Amino acid sequence: MSDKFHTELNRLKQDTTEMAQFARDMLRESLDALFNQDTEKALQVYSRKKHIRDVTIALEDRTYQLIALYQPMAKDMRLIACTLKMITAAERIGRYGKDIADMVKDLRDQPDFPQRLPIPHMADLVLGMIDDVIVAYKTENLDPIKNFTSRDDTVDALWLSILREMLTFMMENPQTITRSAYYIMVARYLERSGDHACKMAENIHYMITGEWIEIE
Amino acid sequence: MTSEPIISTNDLNLWYHDTHALQSISMTISKNQVTALIGPSGCGKSTLLRCFNRLNDLIDCVKIRGEILLDNENIHAAGTDVVMLRKKVGMVFQKPNPFPKSVYENVAYGPRVHGIKNKGELDSIVEQSLRDAALWDEVRDRLHDSALGLSGGQQQRLCIARTLAVEPKVILMDEPCSALDPIATAKIEKLIDALKQDYTVIIVTHNMQQAARVSNYTGFMYLGKLIEFGQTNQIFENPREDLTENYITGRFG
Ligand SMILES: Nc1ncnc2c1ncn2[C@@H]1O[C@H](COP(=O)(O)OP(=O)(O)OP(=O)(O)O)[C@@H](O)[C@H]1O
Ligand SMILES: [Mg+2]
Repeated sequence: MSDKFHTELNRLKQDTTEMAQFARDMLRESLDALFNQDTEKALQVYSRKKHIRDVTIALEDRTYQLIALYQPMAKDMRLIACTLKMITAAERIGRYGKDIADMVKDLRDQPDFPQRLPIPHMADLVLGMIDDVIVAYKTENLDPIKNFTSRDDTVDALWLSILREMLTFMMENPQTITRSAYYIMVARYLERSGDHACKMAENIHYMITGEWIEIE
Repeated sequence: MTSEPIISTNDLNLWYHDTHALQSISMTISKNQVTALIGPSGCGKSTLLRCFNRLNDLIDCVKIRGEILLDNENIHAAGTDVVMLRKKVGMVFQKPNPFPKSVYENVAYGPRVHGIKNKGELDSIVEQSLRDAALWDEVRDRLHDSALGLSGGQQQRLCIARTLAVEPKVILMDEPCSALDPIATAKIEKLIDALKQDYTVIIVTHNMQQAARVSNYTGFMYLGKLIEFGQTNQIFENPREDLTENYITGRFG
């Protein structure tokens, strides 16, 4: 084995971190566009879908190449395994961002809700988990991901409460059905993104320690 | 994986003159399992392997301290029959080294030395050994041709057949594939896997992927010491020692 391998492995990790950051920004900015009815920005986020796809394929390709050429062991093998999962999860998160961005134009003419919803709060929690996952991966440090079980519980609880609230809106006022249905999807995507963050956290734990944990 | 021990060493030390080549090695080899020894060149893998059938006795300047038990018997005990020991613990070397004789004679040699004269009996030992070494189909029609006419991979399997012919319990292999191409290597690896049904195999290899593929247990040696010993998947997935980690990920030196 050569130093070339470790140089390339480090570069792969760095580029994967950047890709995860890019996907994270897609989700963040799509939510901002949604909350601010900013169709301009939504369009801009939506247009990043090709880029995230291309980067995903390129990074996966590089990962498979490293496996085929160097057959990594131990820590290197665990980093590679984790990297593949990171790429997949980040792509999903980016695509949720794209899907949310795509909703903004449809909601432009829909009446707004009478009261504030916990969706922005839920978004902050999920984005916080994603940020911490990226830091943990980048710095190979467990601290940022150590409370994930309880953070994920909160996200799940919010998802259920938003779902119930939306159902109530829809029953009380059919005018809000479109917006409510879309917001249910947004909350669902956020809940899924939180799950992806948990999966990533499990893989990062394995990468760092060689042991598997379950975040439920 | 529960497995009973077949060989164990206890505080084993070996010197070549002043070179302390093995330093306080304590390990247990499990029966009917494949154990791999890995480590950088000169760390003592071959030396340790040669201890198990006392091949180091043939080297003048060697001094050994500590215990090696084979089936709970000290192989250095007074009265140990070294010929019997080497029958029980056979060895396959890095370079195939068939005798310049026929295929048949190469395999029949050991059993003859151990007193088997009957032609029918020898025939069946030869056939069985060649079958067990996955070579029979390739040489059945040329049993009386010279072994030196076989390919390198076939010669290596012949050497394995020769070892099997005396019904050993343990087979030591010192880099058995390093002179072979990938196809011949794959055949030997498949063979090693089959052999553990009936034998215990200890293999030295520089090829980490090979160690990971063929063995159940792996020992990592460095500068005469056994740094880490454990189940192979643990060693290659999550080694406990930094030295092991650095070696198997190629971060050495
Ligand atoms: N016959 C000998 N006389 C003197 N010193 C020896 C002899 N054989 C080995 N040594 C020394 O003992 C140490 C261990 O050697 P050994 O051959 O066991 O290493 P190894 O791990 O098998 O290396 P390699 O991977 O290169 O085969 C080395 O320092 C070597 O120089
Ligand atoms: Mg050697």
